[in-house]
Amino acid sequence: MEEIIKSIVLGICSGGIYALIAVSYVVIYKSTRVFPFSQAAVLIIGAYIMWYCTIAWHIPIWLGFVITCAGGAILGMFVERAFMRPLVGQPILAPIVVTLSLMLFLRGVGILMGKGDVQGFGESFLPVGAWQFGFLHLPKIQIYAFLLCAVIIAALILFYQKTRTGLGMRVVHEDHVVAQNLGINVKRIFQYSWIISCIIASIAGMLLGNIQGVGLALDANGIVAIAAVLFGGLESFSGAIVAGLTIGILQMLTIAYIAPLLPGETTMMVPFVFLLLVLFIKPYGLFGLVRIERL
Amino acid sequence: MRDITKKREQRYSYGLALLRECIEKKRLWTNNEDEKKAVLRVENIDLSFGDLRALNNVSVDVRGHEILAIIGPNGAGKTSLLNVISGFYRAQRGDIYFNEEKITRFSSHKIAERGICRTFQNIALYSGLTVTDNIIAGRHPHINYNFLTGMIYFPWANREEAYQRAIAEDIIDFLELEHVRGSVVGMLAYGLRKRVELGRALALEPRILLLDEPMAGMNVDEKEDMARFIIDINEFLKIPIVLIEHDMGVVMDIADRIFVLDFGNPIAEGSPEEIKQNQKVISAYLGTG
Amino acid sequence: MNINRPCGTFDRNYFQAKELYRTPLRKTLLALFIIAMYVIPFVVGEYGISILTPICAFTIGMLGLQIITGYAGQISIGHAAFMGIGMYTVAILQKYFGFSFWLALPFSGLVAMAVGIIFGIPALRMKGLYLAFATLAAHFVIVYVISNWRSVTNGTDGMYMSRPGVLFGIDFTDDRNYYFLALTVTAIMTYLATNLARTKLGRALVAVRDNDIAAELMGINVGTTKVLAFGIGCFFAGVSGAIGGAYYEYVNVEWFGLDDSIWYLGFLVVGGFGSIFGAIAGAVVWKVMDELSTLVTPLTEALLGGAAFYASAAFSLLFYSLIIITFLVFEPRGISHRWEMIKRSYRLHPFPY
Repeated sequence: MEEIIKSIVLGICSGGIYALIAVSYVVIYKSTRVFPFSQAAVLIIGAYIMWYCTIAWHIPIWLGFVITCAGGAILGMFVERAFMRPLVGQPILAPIVVTLSLMLFLRGVGILMGKGDVQGFGESFLPVGAWQFGFLHLPKIQIYAFLLCAVIIAALILFYQKTRTGLGMRVVHEDHVVAQNLGINVKRIFQYSWIISCIIASIAGMLLGNIQGVGLALDANGIVAIAAVLFGGLESFSGAIVAGLTIGILQMLTIAYIAPLLPGETTMMVPFVFLLLVLFIKPYGLFGLVRIERL
Repeated sequence: MRDITKKREQRYSYGLALLRECIEKKRLWTNNEDEKKAVLRVENIDLSFGDLRALNNVSVDVRGHEILAIIGPNGAGKTSLLNVISGFYRAQRGDIYFNEEKITRFSSHKIAERGICRTFQNIALYSGLTVTDNIIAGRHPHINYNFLTGMIYFPWANREEAYQRAIAEDIIDFLELEHVRGSVVGMLAYGLRKRVELGRALALEPRILLLDEPMAGMNVDEKEDMARFIIDINEFLKIPIVLIEHDMGVVMDIADRIFVLDFGNPIAEGSPEEIKQNQKVISAYLGTG
Repeated sequence: MNINRPCGTFDRNYFQAKELYRTPLRKTLLALFIIAMYVIPFVVGEYGISILTPICAFTIGMLGLQIITGYAGQISIGHAAFMGIGMYTVAILQKYFGFSFWLALPFSGLVAMAVGIIFGIPALRMKGLYLAFATLAAHFVIVYVISNWRSVTNGTDGMYMSRPGVLFGIDFTDDRNYYFLALTVTAIMTYLATNLARTKLGRALVAVRDNDIAAELMGINVGTTKVLAFGIGCFFAGVSGAIGGAYYEYVNVEWFGLDDSIWYLGFLVVGGFGSIFGAIAGAVVWKVMDELSTLVTPLTEALLGGAAFYASAAFSLLFYSLIIITFLVFEPRGISHRWEMIKRSYRLHPFPY
């Protein structure tokens, strides 16, 4: 029983970051209808920018944070403008293959940035140590990271609900052509989505780098988060959040109960098996939009 | 089945003879008595999407050799009715009988194999194939070899392919599509695409043909052509036709019976003359003028 | 007005109307091409054969992916894993059951086909991206099983397998003779795929790709068609794995990571979507780029700072992905589309349209 509660609490903590990554996928998918596989590798880039700022160049943490966000934004803008925009209106396979290739491209850039090694932050930029609640041993890093994720997601949802651009993004989600006819600059919305998503992914990347160490293995988190997005339904923020947390809990339970029984990287495999089962029962995920097809 | 592989049998056009042979073998009625009997019966259909009632206790039947027009304002549930018949939507209540066989729970492709073929309001062709291939693709359930035979391409697969092609060319000839037969469908004009769609439905050897707004968005010439095709199919191939159409002139001219829907409720049924006089229909749809 | 037809060719019967190679010129060219492929190894020597044999293997795999993704429109991000199943099937059958290569070859395809059908079953309910992720999940599960079922697959250490021995007096342990074997299998598989594409199932596949709802309403069983596409595509992948693995006489789970599945998809699109020619072009471009990248690696290592191992790892990633991305941005329909346009402008010559 203790073990289960511990797994669930820790799972929620680590699930916060999955939720954040999942949200970064959803932002782009909602407006462009292209699934951005590349965000898994943006995690690596974000983590490395932060690492260079704080460790290599000794820049204050807050400035490093700003620079990382700016780096993410520039990356998002560049990717959208250079690679994605020429493919608007092309057969659906082309943009998917481009984002997949971009994932590997950015991974290659990551290898060059990190010279192939796993780098630690030396000194964490979030408070270290742990709180002890009875049998629960909660690392402060995890808690703070979780809170930060919650704040960012809340801010993003507010942005979608309250601002004019957010309204535009929701309209674009409904229908590209209609949005264009209503006078919304769809191309600009696409660009905003990529920028926002890449900023979110870089933040998630540096949080993960802080917890796990900066290295190429970070994109495994991104790929697990893909399972979360699908599980929640591709177009829903609330789905992404719920699914992110669920996947986090699932991973912790896997570590506690399944990993001792099976060899190898079960934490990678179990979410995907789970995903297969879920999709078989609910093909559009938990909160996915089931469109009534018309003829 | 004719052996079109023989030299003597090879000719440019069969004038729908090949297709007619196929259809005649499966016709549901033979003499004029049966003509009056219902081949397709729709009984007490209810269909709703969430709170939206699309069809409310709709019953209609289609007789052996007639053109039945379904009319009604936009959103009256006409297309939904066709979708229910062809198994695309599942009705919450009610049954559909085709040739005295209950087909309510059949999957769509089985219903199509039974011979209920249709065209679509928004054209739904296989846009990557050519016109000829679209029509041959429509013959899918009637092609008699499996995929392994096709892959190895045995001589009998070759013969079968040629036979199917002959039928397709037959239909192309009938629908006057010769000049575009090799073009990819995605690049054709709207009116032509509607005609290709009719051809694809014909290729499926229909025993009843459901046409969803076959003349929408056409000019007068194209409408006349389409009306001619519909009457030809009905007269020459003796296939009953269900037709959704907004052009009252066409409907009154070619329909044998008219069925009127309004907000999911059936409000009238009868010959064109009766419908013209019906007060409910005039107030709901036709208007005074 | 059929502009895909050379000027002055007319059909006299329905058999001619569906011929793929209609004019004597094209028939001669095809025959010459096949003969040339059989003569080439005597010209290009060892190095040439070491490129050509993998091209044959990749071509078969690419044809399989073309059937799944190009014709049926079901995006598969796990194709390399099915190729791996083919490799491991041959290795396991040879090691534990003492099968000869000839007997194991069809089994490699059949086992991959069975696994492909199992992972294709979600296609009965899912569409589009959701299905793509089901194949991604398939990739992870397959790689996980292979690398962790140590008692059978020898884990990440890989397995040895053997080429076919002497048959009809031909010694297939010789590289050149093995190339002939690979080429013959490739030719047969290409023939099968071509016929598949132009007969009943091929049309059904394209129908499902272009408009699955209409296909269902026009009497095509969409679910079965999709699952069949997965099965046949994975059969091709399995055979391709068997041919490729036996060439190196060794197989390792490292050879079919997620990267390779993505390169498969990427070079398929580079080659061209929905045509047999595109699949072959994709496989050729892939292997040629592979060779180019190994040729250029020393240069880039110097550029990127020393001959560090990470530089070459990064380089192949950057090189491939840049090729795919630039290609897609400038010609999203791939080489085969460009080739069709060249042919068309040649046929119509003095007139622009």
